[in-house]
Amino acid sequence: MSIALPPVAPRRSLVVRRSTHSPALTLVGALVLVILLTIAPWIVPAQFATTLTNFFILVIMATMWNLLAGYAGMVSIGQQAFVGLGAYATLYFALKGVNPFVTIPLSALVCAILAVPITYLLFRLRGGYFSIATWVVSDTALLIIGTIALLGGGTGRSVPGLQNLSPSETAHFSYLATWFVALIVVTGTYILLRSRMGLVLASIRDNEVAARSAGVNVRAARRTIFIVAAAGCGAAGAVLAISQPFVQPSNEFNLQWAAEMLFVSMIGGLGTIEGPIIGSIIFFALQQTLQQQGVWYLIIVGALAVAIALWLPRGLWGAFRARFHTELLPVGHWVDQLGDDD
Amino acid sequence: MSLLQLEGVSKKFGQVVVGEAITFQLMQGDAVGIVGPNGAGKTSLFGMISGDISPDSGVISFEGENVARLSPAKRARAGIGRTYQVPRPFEHMTVFENALVAAQQGARARGHKSYDIAFGALERTGLGPLANRPAGSLTLLHRKRLELARALSTSPRVLLLDEIAGGLTDLEVNELTTIIRSLRADGIAVLWIEHVVRALLSTVDRLICLASGVVVADGEPKEVLASDAVRFVYLGGKRIDEDAS
Repeated sequence: MSIALPPVAPRRSLVVRRSTHSPALTLVGALVLVILLTIAPWIVPAQFATTLTNFFILVIMATMWNLLAGYAGMVSIGQQAFVGLGAYATLYFALKGVNPFVTIPLSALVCAILAVPITYLLFRLRGGYFSIATWVVSDTALLIIGTIALLGGGTGRSVPGLQNLSPSETAHFSYLATWFVALIVVTGTYILLRSRMGLVLASIRDNEVAARSAGVNVRAARRTIFIVAAAGCGAAGAVLAISQPFVQPSNEFNLQWAAEMLFVSMIGGLGTIEGPIIGSIIFFALQQTLQQQGVWYLIIVGALAVAIALWLPRGLWGAFRARFHTELLPVGHWVDQLGDDD
Repeated sequence: MSLLQLEGVSKKFGQVVVGEAITFQLMQGDAVGIVGPNGAGKTSLFGMISGDISPDSGVISFEGENVARLSPAKRARAGIGRTYQVPRPFEHMTVFENALVAAQQGARARGHKSYDIAFGALERTGLGPLANRPAGSLTLLHRKRLELARALSTSPRVLLLDEIAGGLTDLEVNELTTIIRSLRADGIAVLWIEHVVRALLSTVDRLICLASGVVVADGEPKEVLASDAVRFVYLGGKRIDEDAS
């Protein structure tokens, strides 16, 4: 390559595209999907609607966990803290007479607010210590909630305000609420990752030290993401509380949630928007087909996680994307008019 | 007024001294080379100037303000750009995005202005045609250039170059020194750690020699290289002679 020093001022004709393919295609596809999933409870068996509800609860959680771990480098194993706090915020507001469905954004907000002081505690720690501390936060929240008699203490209680709905209506409405929350969370994540914040997060994901020296305020970005993820998981907890007959500390603050978030993000592909969604699909497909196998189900799921970690460290979507150079939800920047590219 | 001034900057890692009362200054448009044996504290010095390492004591003034306690990000935004000896590209981002994040965060530019800064830096470093490549696919030469392009995208007033010519062929080194000289001509001060002395001499007009964290020589390059202190540091100089006789 010969060096002919270019003029200091770059060409004004620089065109930067934000998509590898026509956005119209994505838009039409997304629209069809949104319509299908919105009418789904009326066209699928009632039992399947419940499964779909649980599926979208996991999609919400995994999308948030992926922001935390896949982009901001915060491996939280205590994210169930916000699932639980969101569920209990919904229970609390419903007990105070608020319509349970209206409590969803309120619970998300409560979790976001609670997350702020928590970041000041947690951000003193790094790496594995941070992870352990998130778990401590979660168990602390569990213990505190368990002492509050109004919220049912250790045995829990059901969310009031849903009794006048029939069981099938409850199932439909919880599905719709969950699906809309998932849609907002995934769309919001997509918009976030396309913004300047997305570039910041990707740079932190790839190399934290270099990100700092490029002027990235890593701590501020992490705090923002922690608060966003708390809000998202809080919303997931809210819809969980509505969709289940009972709100119970041991269920809402279950470590199982963090394990599932981690598992689906990892098999789908950390650090991509599509990864957690694809991971959730695979997880639910496995669960539906293998759950009758009892212990073998767990063995297969565990073996799959190990195999993916060893051979496809960027997950299924990461591997697919690397091979086919395609993205469903593009967030990158492509410079046009280069002429002699490659 | 000096652009960058270090006064009595010291740092120890346990018993290892990487900086001992380091004092020097850099004026706008200066190009200063830093030499010294391995472990002399050269990269640690850059770490202290850029904020990756916090000094135990001393003052680091940039444009008259003490920046010794500021975060690396704040220093990058203030105008201190650095490259890393082992390139640290954002591997899963494109070459253009690597520069763009620096333009948006380091130079605080938005929208088209940030695109222009980032692409301008790529063009200056000869990476323009590779803008859409994933940074992880770059060769060593291009990774080194990307380090430079990313540092440039923060719109720095002083550039810290850490062995940017190491491991490159003569031709590649010549191309890099041409770029660095042009940056200097634009008024960017350059502080350059390099073992490829020939590359340094073609570009800098002052040399600082560091050994065990101490500045043992600072001055005109030929004089510094010929000085007894530097000869002693590199060759063991007189002491070997004495032992032999």
